[in-house]
Amino acid sequence: MREHGPLLNRRQALAAGAALLAGTAWPKGAVSAAATCPATLDWAILETLLAIGAPPVAATELVQFRDVAVEPAVPLSVTDLGLRGLPNFETLLLARPDIIFNSNFYASSEPLLARIAPVESLSIYVPGKPPFDAAVEMTRAIGARLGRAEAEDFITRTSDDMATLSARLGGRPRAVLPINLGDARHFRTFGADSMFGAALEQLGLVNAWKAPTSYSATAPVGLEALAGYDDAWIALIGPTPREVGPVLARSAFWNALPAVRSGRVLDLGPVNPFGALPAMARFARLLVEALVAKGRGLG
Amino acid sequence: MADIGSSLRLLRPWVGLGLLALALFAAVLETRPSLLGPDALALDRILLMHSLLPRAATALLCGAALGLSGALLQRVLRNPIADPSTLGIAAGAQLALTLAMTFAPALVAVSREGVALAGGAAAAAGVLALSWKRGLDPVIVVLSGMVISMIAAALGAFVVLARGEYLMSLYIWGAGSLSLQSWDAPITIATRLSVGVVAAVLLLRPLAILGLDDAGARSLGVGLLATRLMVMLLAVWLAATVTAEVGIIGFVGLAAPAFARLAGARTPRQILLVAPIAGAVVLSITDSAVQLAGSGFADLAPTGAATALLGGPLLLWLLPRVRSTDRAPAGLVAPLSMLKPSSGNATPLLLLAAALIVLALLVGRGPDGWDIATGDLFSELLAFRGPRLVAAGAAGVMLAAAGTLMQRITANPMASPELLGVGAGSGVGLAAVLFLVGFPGPILMLGGMAAGALVALIVMLIVAARSSFGPERLLLAGIAVGAFSMAILSAVLAGGGMRAYALLVWLSGSTNRVGPFEATTALVAALVLAAPLFLFARWLDILPLGADVGRCVGLKVGRARLVLALFAAGLTAISSFIVGPLSLVGLLAPHLAARFPRGRTRLAAAMLIGATLLIGADWLSRIVAFPYQVPVGLFAALIGGPYLLRLLRHGDANHG
Repeated sequence: MREHGPLLNRRQALAAGAALLAGTAWPKGAVSAAATCPATLDWAILETLLAIGAPPVAATELVQFRDVAVEPAVPLSVTDLGLRGLPNFETLLLARPDIIFNSNFYASSEPLLARIAPVESLSIYVPGKPPFDAAVEMTRAIGARLGRAEAEDFITRTSDDMATLSARLGGRPRAVLPINLGDARHFRTFGADSMFGAALEQLGLVNAWKAPTSYSATAPVGLEALAGYDDAWIALIGPTPREVGPVLARSAFWNALPAVRSGRVLDLGPVNPFGALPAMARFARLLVEALVAKGRGLG
Repeated sequence: MADIGSSLRLLRPWVGLGLLALALFAAVLETRPSLLGPDALALDRILLMHSLLPRAATALLCGAALGLSGALLQRVLRNPIADPSTLGIAAGAQLALTLAMTFAPALVAVSREGVALAGGAAAAAGVLALSWKRGLDPVIVVLSGMVISMIAAALGAFVVLARGEYLMSLYIWGAGSLSLQSWDAPITIATRLSVGVVAAVLLLRPLAILGLDDAGARSLGVGLLATRLMVMLLAVWLAATVTAEVGIIGFVGLAAPAFARLAGARTPRQILLVAPIAGAVVLSITDSAVQLAGSGFADLAPTGAATALLGGPLLLWLLPRVRSTDRAPAGLVAPLSMLKPSSGNATPLLLLAAALIVLALLVGRGPDGWDIATGDLFSELLAFRGPRLVAAGAAGVMLAAAGTLMQRITANPMASPELLGVGAGSGVGLAAVLFLVGFPGPILMLGGMAAGALVALIVMLIVAARSSFGPERLLLAGIAVGAFSMAILSAVLAGGGMRAYALLVWLSGSTNRVGPFEATTALVAALVLAAPLFLFARWLDILPLGADVGRCVGLKVGRARLVLALFAAGLTAISSFIVGPLSLVGLLAPHLAARFPRGRTRLAAAMLIGATLLIGADWLSRIVAFPYQVPVGLFAALIGGPYLLRLLRHGDANHG
């Protein structure tokens, strides 16, 4: 037991009853000083918080995040809130955040979040809005809200890194098809409205996927579509289901694909497909390293 | 000779439809986009040989296997709505695959098919073991199968949820995509199917005898139990093979024998002959249609989901043409009455409910371990725990009421809110809102779901109205609407992304997002919709006795059924908004209340049991996997499912 005394006094009971019926929420903009204890349900925001050196007090699905997004590393001090779709609000309450950054993906949780701390909504994946600009904006907004100059440094550093990576490619405008294998027959592909698309653009590469996408990705697409991309590099974004490899190795069609025959398949490892600047930078780095390694191998 | 002549006559419509299937496949070959690039010709040939042709063959073979499997199951269970999924084969296979991918990926790498087959067979074996004591009574078998199937589906949904969005392949596979890259699958299915056909021919004579009642069949010297077991094993094997190779192909096992009967097949021999052909043609047409309607190389929807899209409306259209007698199906009433009404003592139940409420409000887990909330912390946590408790309890009351209504209207113990099709219909409403508005708030979501439920209900009522709601017809209409709705949901799930994620959260059923708005809605809805039912207690007692008895005692049967069906639909829609469509409470609570005296007492007991089940499940869902939460719909199934199975297994032998 944390406290002694009666379970509930009359004032508390009344307050609790009122809260139950009316739903208390933090008035918007009630806190004007810089917040110090952020929390979030969204992985793109989690990435950004970690990258600017302001780890949240609580975030969701840390077990998966460490496997799928991989970087930045999550300190042990961050409380795991459980599933992104089923966040543990009681645990979030006990983590005592003073600001909750939320995205449109979790808009339905907002009324409950607002009872814990002031909520600020920052979204990257909005129809008709380039995600890169939105990600930069989000990073800035988070930095401003937390009073951290590191946010601006991180934006500059990312842009420098992208320029360096682009230079390593030697300016040859190659076409890359960023995909994510769902099984041995289908893949998910990422368009210009994804962070991967933004990375390709900044690296001076061409996103081979021209068709429209919905919220940055199209899925499922049949493997047959790959035949049309005879001069593109296929960038496999992990994680790839483990049983896919052996099936593809035996597939007559896969092995006859021009990209596969000429060794233009890049296995990149896992990257968060709905991430922010850190995911974009990780994708760009893995892609350029793979391209450079292949280039060396091919002579 | 006359037999062969009539068989040929029976096949005539299928020759025409077979030609249509062939023409559609030709159109697929003709209209498919040409490949680009310098190797286009060679690649095109590989595609034709290693993808398109095996795919077409697979559609025909899977359809035939499922048609045969469904015909065998319907025959042996003497139940026109039995199908491979009623035995939990599909759900079992999918659960096995999900679990293996999560906990033992190496196993999936060795044999994906083997894992799925083991899961499907295990589910079916579980069903048989559970109903063994009751002599594999058809009703008990199907009831056990449905409970096991729902437990498996709930568990599977939770594991997918826990793994996040990266099981994209499971969505696709789960919805039954026929896209292939080799001849492995069709060859495997072809060998199984030919063995199945031979076995079915050998079983023809015992099957014909099975149509007699148990006593008649026994006196003719047929080992009743052994024959049923063999037929069922054969059907399970065929369906499990299909599920293992290409995923869940909905509806074909249910539709093929029904279409065969509608096209004039009467005897077991005729149905067994025509059903596989009907299944092959239906699946082939569907598979060509999704390819023709798709763009580029992408299908419009996975074939398995599309079969239900085509099949659901087709069955609805055919329903008014089915000749049936308006009577309670023999044997189906038994489980409701098999439990002898005993004492009406509700004290232990009330004490349990009170204890669970206290537990749910006070006890929880935090980062520092177990915790009993007092003082300020209590009032802070109450803001989260209170609405959950209220909503779970109210949803339990509503589901129990809806389940009682459905089982009474249809005189069918398998009837439940899930089978009405209204829960799934509200899911389609939710999907529509997710498509129209990127990220809707709770009011929009609830509005969409209510609209979806209403549309599903109206479609069902229009179809069923012509026959003044005969029990079988109502249930069949509900299944068709439900299959159609679930097909749309599968197609959305197969698309992946955030919409699929939001739907998956709803499907698994969670009270986690419940706030004051949802709690108030649930409470008001429970009061407005469940309380008036006590006025209809007499109807509830009379309706299961059949329309004739009802009319004899002066009941306007059609009107009574309509009123109760409207209530059941409303109750289902709102409760499924809170706990999703998977919860077993609507099926369970009325069964668990069967020991109470009939009428109002039993209805009240069912509602109390429903509320207790969901409140308890909600508390457990919060603490078992802390900080990860298990959806409450799953927990309701996990608590109630085994109890119902035990009841069925040890059921009182005194029928009536």
